[in-house]
Amino acid sequence: MVLLQADPFLSELTNMYERSTEKGSVWVTMKRSSMKCQARLKKMANKGEEVEYRCLVRATDGKKNISTATLLQVLAVFIARVCNEIMTRLKKRLN
Amino acid sequence: MVYYDSWEEFVDRSLELFRNDPIATRYVMKYRHCDGKLVLKVTDNNDCLKFKTDQAQDIKKMEKLNNIFFALMTRGPDADISEVSGKEQADQQQSKKGRGRRQ
Repeated sequence: MVLLQADPFLSELTNMYERSTEKGSVWVTMKRSSMKCQARLKKMANKGEEVEYRCLVRATDGKKNISTATLLQVLAVFIARVCNEIMTRLKKRLN
Repeated sequence: MVYYDSWEEFVDRSLELFRNDPIATRYVMKYRHCDGKLVLKVTDNNDCLKFKTDQAQDIKKMEKLNNIFFALMTRGPDADISEVSGKEQADQQQSKKGRGRRQ
């Protein structure tokens, strides 16, 4: 699993969509994560430290895995825009 | 694995699922260009809610849901998402004012 910064993640995600036009799928997963292991989380809870959560976004085309963990709301907007441009195969409404 | 027919119901149930367990709940989006199909899944590893579509009009809805989930996941399950879904309302209000001025 390749953990990337927001910008490289988005370029790679766009590439994935472009590569999967003929066949294959692209999966994008979003999950809340502190990016810390259980042991660390317990220690922080015991000390009373506040845990910072981020949004972990993962993407795969079945072969390659990429991910990013970020707080940027811009990422969600960008993913949506990428989807808009790429998901052209979905049927347009007739009316 | 339940496929929902109603978008509103799917969104309401998924937000409910997230608020019950924000750490375990994840939102998955699968797109197949060759089939022209989009499938959305929200699960907390106990329940699973799915929504599938082949309609272009649903992209906007998915966009909104993306924003909502992102805001909830970064800011917390109690975050105020009215600004995310309320942006549309604000835009609508502005456009109404616009029409009035033209007259």
